[in-house]
Amino acid sequence: MTTSLRRYSRSWGLWLLLLVAPIGARFMIARDDGSGMQVAIGGHLPVMTSATLGVCLGIVVSTLLLPVAFLYLRSNVTRRNPWQVDEVTVAPRAAIMLGRFAADALVLLAALATLTAAGWILGWQIVTGPYQPHWIALPLWLVAAPALIGLAALRQLLDARPLGRRGFGEVIFFALWMTSLVIPITMDGRASSFAVNMVDYPGFIRPLVAGSPGTGTDFSIGGGEIKPGRVPLDSKRGIAAPGYVNSRLAWVAIAVALAALAGVIHGQHTAPRRRKPGLVARLLADRPPPSVIANAPRAAPSRSPLFTLMLAEFRLVGAGRPFLVLAIIAALLGLLPDFRHIGSPAALLLLIFGLTAHAGRGEARGLRHLTATTATSPVLRRATLVIAGTAWATLMAIPATLTTWSIEPLALAAAAGSAAGVVAVTLAMISGSAFAPRMVLLIAWYAYLST
Amino acid sequence: MSNLHLDSVGKLYGRKTIFDSVTTHVPIGLTLLTGPSGAGKSTLLRLLATAERPSSGKLSWKGAPLPAARSRLRRALGYAPQAVDLPDDLTAREFALHMAALKGLDLAAADAQFGAITDAINLHADINHRISTFSGGMRRRLIFAQALLGEPELIILDEPTAELDRHTAALLEALIVERAATASVVMTTHASEQLTAHAAASWRVEGGQVTPL
Repeated sequence: MTTSLRRYSRSWGLWLLLLVAPIGARFMIARDDGSGMQVAIGGHLPVMTSATLGVCLGIVVSTLLLPVAFLYLRSNVTRRNPWQVDEVTVAPRAAIMLGRFAADALVLLAALATLTAAGWILGWQIVTGPYQPHWIALPLWLVAAPALIGLAALRQLLDARPLGRRGFGEVIFFALWMTSLVIPITMDGRASSFAVNMVDYPGFIRPLVAGSPGTGTDFSIGGGEIKPGRVPLDSKRGIAAPGYVNSRLAWVAIAVALAALAGVIHGQHTAPRRRKPGLVARLLADRPPPSVIANAPRAAPSRSPLFTLMLAEFRLVGAGRPFLVLAIIAALLGLLPDFRHIGSPAALLLLIFGLTAHAGRGEARGLRHLTATTATSPVLRRATLVIAGTAWATLMAIPATLTTWSIEPLALAAAAGSAAGVVAVTLAMISGSAFAPRMVLLIAWYAYLST
Repeated sequence: MSNLHLDSVGKLYGRKTIFDSVTTHVPIGLTLLTGPSGAGKSTLLRLLATAERPSSGKLSWKGAPLPAARSRLRRALGYAPQAVDLPDDLTAREFALHMAALKGLDLAAADAQFGAITDAINLHADINHRISTFSGGMRRRLIFAQALLGEPELIILDEPTAELDRHTAALLEALIVERAATASVVMTTHASEQLTAHAAASWRVEGGQVTPL
């Protein structure tokens, strides 16, 4: 834990994380004009008492900010650990995982502490009724802290197995995050109890339901029309509902247990072994090496270096035969009606993985010091990646264009492809890996699919 | 004859002086760098490869000072650093072609040349395999092979034969000697009779100074 904390203390990203929460708090809480993040009951904003402010801040953390926190955990200075050395020591895996989990949890709770301080400042300005700092902090920590601690445990759990360490880990997180937001709706209207509240991992349903003025559960989180006037929300009664506090403490205990479990199920890092490929693998496998041209002349400069670079980037975004097969499938989905909701999202999803993978490769810090010494400037390299992404998106939209005899699918694909390319390159450049852009683009993709 | 000149070049990391006022030139042929660990050999190579800028003094390429002439130098450069974060999910050939494109080379010609280089250093059978399956020595050879792509006039090699067995190291050294006939090759290495016999110059890096031997 001490080693991880020392590494965190040298990370400039940590200071950004500590700033994100308080700065975000300024914009998270709804104003009377409906601006900001809204927690509405029956279409009305709640009266902003100290406790309600704490609940509202907690809701924002345990829902919207969880992906940001996960993104930070998987891309910060501790994303790489010296497994070659520590996997052959006598230290128990569970102890190592628990130590790293504790460091991650402490860092996330430090961010929550800065948000609490920001909530106190904010509350001083906007709270209706008595200003009670402890009633801002208590609901905020009850709602958000278990969710953040659980996230730290999930990171260790994903790091424990080879599959979770790769891109599949991000898919698992994305699925769990979406599920954790949707599942609590199933407790809608049921009497508060420990068992019922355990379903509510983000922890925001009970404070809203039990504290709302009527028996109804007509609340909404996010944007939308706001009716004039505020309704009272008894957040203190909400968090005192039977079984609620116990369920939050239970989630903390589960998180600790999961971190220990991560140590138990930890799989050693190994280089992928070459196995005898099956039929599908043979079809998708790379070709054997070309025959050697004896005394091949030294390669001359390309007559069109920019085009050559674009071609190379285009190939590498779609590296490997599996990508080609999936690209053909995504393009054929464009033959179905409703390109916007079927063909386009399918192509974009594939492109997100191709673009972020290549952006991550090119921006790896250990490679950048080599590529920076080539004749191509980093800016030009990044620009050609965006162009390559746009080209892939446009190509995959051709069947839809031919079906509809409309330029619209091409324009939509080009816009989506270039936007994804810009985000992929920018975030990969900042983070030095494929993870951050992939996470952000997957969330954006989900929004694109759902709207 | 020389293309690359260093004029009173100094390098500081914070307050620590790595070099102080180095004036020399890189001759055509093979230049060997020796010196104790941590003396700054890799730093000197990074300066020559334009991966870092000097804290003082100036470098010039074919008479033109850097940074104005940096692009021209980079077009003539082949660089193999000691450690590179190779993209594990690509094949060696895909990586080499990526580097060739960044160097502005014709891809078909670079592909053929890469085949010939890797054949000469016993890597050809593996060039269509993912880099993730490569051993340390194979990675080292891949980094070396990409540095030779094209017709670099200045080749900078940082410990290219480390982690290699004697036979494979000899294969690399033969290629290095061949290239040194027409290009400036600067490399750090442990004692090698084959290389020492062909060296046009030897520099010792120690105590912030670069001394010709």
